[in-house]
Amino acid sequence: MSAVDTPSAPARPTRPGGPPQSHARRRRRRSASSGGATPYWLAVPSLILIIGLLGWPMLRMIILSFQNMRLRELFQGIAPPWVGLDNYTRVLTDSVFWTVTARTVVFTIVSVSLTVVLGLAIALLMRRVAPSVRIAMIVAMMFVWAIPQLVAAQIFRWLVDSDFGVINYLLTQLGLDYVNHSWFAKPLEGWAVITALVVWAGIPFIAITLNAGLTQVPKELVEAATVDGATPWQILRNITLPILRQLIIIVTTLSVIWNFGVFTQPWVIRSGQPEPGYQTLATYAYTVAFKNNNYSLGSAISVITVVLLFGVMAYYIRQMFKIGDVD
Amino acid sequence: MATIAPTSGRPRRRPARESDTVTVGRSQLATVLANVVGIGFVILMAFPVYWVLNTAFKPSNEILQFDPTLFPHNPTFDNFVSAFNAPYFQESLINGVLITLGAVFGAIVVGFLGALAIARFRFYGRKGIILVVLGVQMVPLVAVLIPLFLMMQGFGLTKNLLGVAIVYIVLILPYTIWTLRGFIYGIPRELDEAALIDGCTQRQVFWRIILPLTGPGLVATSVYGFIQAWNEFIIINTFNDQSQQNLMAWLLQNQTQRGTYWGPMMAGSIMTAIPVVIFFLIIQRHIATGLTAGAVKG
Amino acid sequence: MKRKIAVAAALAATMLAAACGSSDDGGTTPNADASVDGAGKTLKVWLMVDAQSGRKNVVDEANARFTQATGAQVQVEYQQWGDHLAKKDATLAGNDVPDVMELGNTEMPKYVFNGAFAELDKNQFENSANWLTGLSAPCEYEGKTYCVPYYAGARVLIYNTDLFKKSGLEAPKTYADVLAAADKLKADNSSSKFNAYYMPGRYQYAGLAWVHGSGGEIAKQEGEKWVAKLSEPGAQEGLTKWKDLVDKYSVGDKTKNEVDQAQIFAQGQTGMMYGASWEVGSVQEQPKDPNDPDSPKVKTKVHGKVAAVAMPEIPSFLGGSNLAVVGKSQNQDLAAQWIKVFTDTKSQELLIANKVLPNATNLLDKAAQVEGNEASAEAAKSSWFVPMAPKWADVESALVIQEMLGSIASGQASPAEAAKKADDQINTILNS
Repeated sequence: MSAVDTPSAPARPTRPGGPPQSHARRRRRRSASSGGATPYWLAVPSLILIIGLLGWPMLRMIILSFQNMRLRELFQGIAPPWVGLDNYTRVLTDSVFWTVTARTVVFTIVSVSLTVVLGLAIALLMRRVAPSVRIAMIVAMMFVWAIPQLVAAQIFRWLVDSDFGVINYLLTQLGLDYVNHSWFAKPLEGWAVITALVVWAGIPFIAITLNAGLTQVPKELVEAATVDGATPWQILRNITLPILRQLIIIVTTLSVIWNFGVFTQPWVIRSGQPEPGYQTLATYAYTVAFKNNNYSLGSAISVITVVLLFGVMAYYIRQMFKIGDVD
Repeated sequence: MATIAPTSGRPRRRPARESDTVTVGRSQLATVLANVVGIGFVILMAFPVYWVLNTAFKPSNEILQFDPTLFPHNPTFDNFVSAFNAPYFQESLINGVLITLGAVFGAIVVGFLGALAIARFRFYGRKGIILVVLGVQMVPLVAVLIPLFLMMQGFGLTKNLLGVAIVYIVLILPYTIWTLRGFIYGIPRELDEAALIDGCTQRQVFWRIILPLTGPGLVATSVYGFIQAWNEFIIINTFNDQSQQNLMAWLLQNQTQRGTYWGPMMAGSIMTAIPVVIFFLIIQRHIATGLTAGAVKG
Repeated sequence: MKRKIAVAAALAATMLAAACGSSDDGGTTPNADASVDGAGKTLKVWLMVDAQSGRKNVVDEANARFTQATGAQVQVEYQQWGDHLAKKDATLAGNDVPDVMELGNTEMPKYVFNGAFAELDKNQFENSANWLTGLSAPCEYEGKTYCVPYYAGARVLIYNTDLFKKSGLEAPKTYADVLAAADKLKADNSSSKFNAYYMPGRYQYAGLAWVHGSGGEIAKQEGEKWVAKLSEPGAQEGLTKWKDLVDKYSVGDKTKNEVDQAQIFAQGQTGMMYGASWEVGSVQEQPKDPNDPDSPKVKTKVHGKVAAVAMPEIPSFLGGSNLAVVGKSQNQDLAAQWIKVFTDTKSQELLIANKVLPNATNLLDKAAQVEGNEASAEAAKSSWFVPMAPKWADVESALVIQEMLGSIASGQASPAEAAKKADDQINTILNS
């Protein structure tokens, strides 16, 4: 499941290691033992759980996408007919699907860029402010981080409510005509609200992670550069960012995976009935499968979503292999 | 050039060389500016939280009025009482805590073993396991909902807390394995070897060295699992009856065809977030430890 | 289930098969009159959450009588509207099912058509000869009955008597009266939040009511096929009339549906609205604790200033719920008996006291005598229902009508354009 505000920062920041670390690792790796049957015994519980609980349902998902499973089959236990690639043809030739895909991609790009850039800015800012302000920033972010996605979405729905919401009230107080303004009449405005929600909820994870990463930037290096007349921008580009690079790549890829699968936020903010203009791939697959009871078509959409994510996934896994020094 | 320099790093410790007055002046301005931006950020982040609190303490006729008040004029605990006494709130609270703790504990135990295998051993199939662990994070959960439900029902694992907890373990397991792997990797191999030479058994190495040293990592990793399990509502709502729901599924209940009960919902939201905040506060120090652990040991 | 068995067997996972063999063999009809010893048994009933928040006394009373008669206990689960269909689908696909299930009358045909419920003997249920057709029609399939009407609701014109008095207006008797009253109210009240006639944009049972009011229809069965009719002149006239009303008299959010309208009306800034019968009460007072229907009531700003009449010249949609015995239930006789008790005249009278319309025409007159029910009982006499197509629920869940109305109300599309698009979608869905 996707969760922009959920994952914890830990561990990742421990690995943006400079050259000395990886030397140490390489040495260690060489001495890693083969251990006979022990590693298999250790890995078995994890594998049983993952493959046992997700493998079979995933296989079913793929099988379903080549059949035509409707309510009648589901209720009465009739074998659904095989339809070959029909579902895929139908999905891929449907302009609605491509609109939804394009929307999901655009949303992902915009929301991830905003979250990462703002998160980085906040992380840098945290090192510039007075300790009391820094603590206030951390506390505020901890609270936001602790708010469940579902709750956060309800809160934003309430803030922008056209009749009783505080946002319209405040904007009207400022002299703008926002009486009864509907934030969801135009999908662009509606998506601005959803993006604000996702970015708001996503910043703590990124800012706190990157801030931890910034502690790895050697002070001496920055000071030396300063003495040599480097501008802050040059220091950022040539010292800070290279050190943070791998960390940024990881939080960005994770954010891409989460935001690409965004479900709860548009779903809740549109009261469980997202209009066509508010469908993302995840809500669309859910709507097709569960609201229209076209489980096979829904499965096909999900399979295509996974394939689309595969590009991101391959990149992510490659980075993980590289950074984690796993092989 | 040099005059702009102080905006990065820590100006006061900077060796002052040229045109001190100018740089210090700018630096102070920049610091003030940074603090102002920081405070602005705090306000922006906190505003929705403030509005939740504001709403939760208002009586219903004050919540629903065209011109909202910026603080409760007749503050009341009614919404909290209402949410707390609402059907199934207390059960859902207890269920949520039990399921979450169970899932986090299970994932940590199982994931730790898996992480140990990946981090400390080289064996055939290791890469495949890593691929599985990283890959399953991409599967859209709603797509496997019905097959998963039917399978769990076949095992008698619906309509109880155990089944949901097991599914949650699987949900948080990949991240747990991967993160713990990083922490175990951070423990120098030489430490194990030295201990083995000193006459420790493999088992003792595990209990006396690896486990204690991974402690902060275990705590830090559990944060993710905790939030993930605490926040889930689609699976539990499909699997379980009303008396076995968690708080998220309960919150959905406040949305009826007769409108949303904003007051109790906001009060319920606060009570829902409180266990997470408490958890964060308890382990807050450890998150920091976990974050820097690798750096220290690296 | 067989499909599942097939796959499972193929994978030699035979342990799953045991869980899949218990589907209904479809032999006998559950007997609501059989004498069953229910001692030690527990009947599982799924009702929608409104039964818990709005009329729990009806449920409690019926359960008590049922337990006394049969010895069986009843366990009621209240379902949320938000995502209840996904949960119901998953549950009905499995083997651990509730015995009785409530579904909205527009959702029913889909489930009846797909064989989820057991056939019932209509004659065993009280007042079945007089069931409201809007409720009972979705229960019928190929001459057999699969569910029992539970309650109904009609929509009425709710108006603020205080504002009417100030403007010297009387209860409207014709549609022209409604418009004249709206004009006068609009002229007499200047607030930017003032609605002479509040009408949210995505209110499908309002927009479609105007369609029927002008002699239009949504869709009709022609031979084997369903044909959408929203582009026909009658429907177009209704939609245009509805749009004029929205444009001129409603300042509210065009993207909302009707769920917030009672709260908006309660602010005293709305002259008229088109509401469900129970909203006459809920705009005037709300339980202090919304989660506890027995808590003391809090009066709103419009308390004692609200009246309702049947909306002139606009026939009402007859909404409501039905109860069915789940086909896979192991306690079908008991389930039928519980439904029988829960829908008998005694239970229906309790419902009426809760300002809900009963399931049968012979009880409507009784309902009309309860204060506050007159208008809706009157409205229920001239009512319409959605097309009886098995796939109609898919049209609703695809939000086709709401999208059409929303785009008309917000001016993004003309009634003709929006109806054309909706017709295409309806034709596709109903005939797929």
